[in-house]
Amino acid sequence: MKNLILPTLGGLLMLAVPAKADMAAAEALIAKHSQLPTFEAPGPAFDAKACMKDKKMFVIPLTNANPFNAAISQGFVDAAAMVGFELRDWETQMDPAGWIQGINTATAEGFDLIDLQGGLPPEFLVPQITEARTAGVKVTATHNWDATTQTVPDFMDGAANTDYVTVGEIIAAWAMVKTGGKVNAIVLGPDEITPTAPLRDAIIGYLKDNCPDCKTQYINVPVNDWATKTQPAVQNALLADPTINYVLPVYDSMSQFIVPAIQIAGSSAKIVSYNGTPFVLDMMRDGDIVEMNVGESLGWVGMAGTDANMRLLCGLDPVTKLNTPAYIFSDENVATAGNPATFNDGYGDVHRAGFAKLWGVE
Amino acid sequence: MSTGQTSDPIAAYEKRIAALEAKLNTLEESVISRTVRESETFDWKTWAERFGLLIAWGVMILILGAFKPDQMFAWNSYASMFGSNAMVVVLTLALMIPLTTGDFDLSVASVMGLSSMLLAVLNVKMGMPIGGAIVFVLAAGAIVGLINSFFILYFGVHSLIVTLGTGYFINGVILWVSNSNTIAGVSMDLVKAVILTRLFGIPIGFYYALALSVLVWYVFQHTSLGRRLLFVGRGREVARLSGVNVNRVRTGALVASGVIAAFAGVLYTGMRGASDPSSALAFLLPAFAAAFLGSTAIYPGRFNAPGAFVAVFFLSTGIMGLNFLGVDSFVQNLFYGGGLVIAVSISQLIRGRKPMD
Repeated sequence: MKNLILPTLGGLLMLAVPAKADMAAAEALIAKHSQLPTFEAPGPAFDAKACMKDKKMFVIPLTNANPFNAAISQGFVDAAAMVGFELRDWETQMDPAGWIQGINTATAEGFDLIDLQGGLPPEFLVPQITEARTAGVKVTATHNWDATTQTVPDFMDGAANTDYVTVGEIIAAWAMVKTGGKVNAIVLGPDEITPTAPLRDAIIGYLKDNCPDCKTQYINVPVNDWATKTQPAVQNALLADPTINYVLPVYDSMSQFIVPAIQIAGSSAKIVSYNGTPFVLDMMRDGDIVEMNVGESLGWVGMAGTDANMRLLCGLDPVTKLNTPAYIFSDENVATAGNPATFNDGYGDVHRAGFAKLWGVE
Repeated sequence: MSTGQTSDPIAAYEKRIAALEAKLNTLEESVISRTVRESETFDWKTWAERFGLLIAWGVMILILGAFKPDQMFAWNSYASMFGSNAMVVVLTLALMIPLTTGDFDLSVASVMGLSSMLLAVLNVKMGMPIGGAIVFVLAAGAIVGLINSFFILYFGVHSLIVTLGTGYFINGVILWVSNSNTIAGVSMDLVKAVILTRLFGIPIGFYYALALSVLVWYVFQHTSLGRRLLFVGRGREVARLSGVNVNRVRTGALVASGVIAAFAGVLYTGMRGASDPSSALAFLLPAFAAAFLGSTAIYPGRFNAPGAFVAVFFLSTGIMGLNFLGVDSFVQNLFYGGGLVIAVSISQLIRGRKPMD
């Protein structure tokens, strides 16, 4: 009996004294990523010009119609111009036929490496990738998988991955600090997109582990349904629970469908998200609903992807994680992102000098 | 060739027309007398057919309300839902007009996207006052309607093919004018005029959709223009022989469709204060679903504004209830697709499985 009573008493005591959210750690995480990005070399310096002298690189973006991918591609183009090797940015419109044609063209024209950048799912193209690799072309991906929770499949030669987990944790920490540990959030994401799982799990997991009084509910909205389903889903969730104080879409482009939902439902919930998409930063500057956004310099992402690819082609130690830091935009610094905002402003440009030094092309 | 040889066939032709007209008159009289008879005796079947969707709507609210009474029986839920579906109602009306004259306009969602994006570009990037920009984009919608009708009527290409092509073309134009970007920061005056101003708790955009539905209903039911639209849709040759300028009516329907779709784009931009290059396209199928579901109600067998209006809110009430129940996203698709086919099939059963026009 005594054995039974003691743990029960212990449980009651735990209930009586609520566990505290780990606020100091959350504040430290936010402070760290509010600092302007600094350049940390992803690996030792090397003579890029010499090793890339007779090599050429082929980049296939998810779609050129998405400014996110266009900005990353521009980073690749800039890096190639700095080093002085041939790089082709393939034009695609989110169509598998275009991706396949790109791989075939690169193989036929003797390119040394194909990079599938910015979310193009390599899993869709295994036969073509295998064929290209058989022909001696290396195939990589930039900014697709998570650096810690996802593994690069064997059918790829390598990948420069993103630290989505940290991004998710920053979003969760922000909401936790702003509400004093009383987050009641809707988390939204399209489950079919590769980075959604690490972002989603990091946000929900961080709040679960660090914030006992926080609660979340997750809504899966496939990309094709964003326009028709995001708004009703958020609107109805806000009507069902008016105490919801944060809406956390894993990709900020969903914000355009969430803002009207918050307005129509008469809610005071705020949006915190990831990607640093210019129109969302414009919404932050011009309104009160978008409160914080975690961005990363996409020109930097393109250069870091190029760096990883060059190391692979030059037989150096592989780099598997992009060194692009996550950076917090809020009302305080959103003006630095430009008006209208861009994908590259506000982050500083230490990466240009950093990579130039690393590649020996100062 | 002598004149005698040509006058005979003309006389014979005129005789045939006279006979046809006499036949039509007899038919019309019989229809009128039947209508009078029907209106005198209450017919459960007709009544159920007309108001079945409304009843189904009510039953659905009661069933969902049994699970989630706090939300399903709250006025605020419906006020929000009415406000957020204004552009779907308007887009459905845009689609319905050419459907009535027998033409499919697959470009309506693209026109909605074009108008939404042009409005953002003109207002945000080029600094044009919002009022002028709205007039401009409505005119752009009319121009698309004219282009569609030119290819459909002059070249005789099927409307499905023409509007599929112009739709794709417009999607390219949208990407081009927007530089593939989403543009935020559209005048708050527009946002206020669409969702931030409320009447009885409902964002005012809903009342625009309601007013437009009433207008389309009035034109269809109570004007000779509406009858001509229907007549052209039911039989182009008969309409032409009866003296209706078929080409003018079809052109008018396509232009009206373009202008109304452009208005849906204005509402869409006003709702978000922003515009993106692709999301409007997602509303094409919901608009088609509502137009066809609406054609089974109120005035069964015809595309009609009150039916379409009810259909949009029937479908969105279902989605709202499923949201409240917290079901997975795929269940909404099951409801939307399944609900449409089952509702139209039940209506067909009631109508004695007559082929749909």
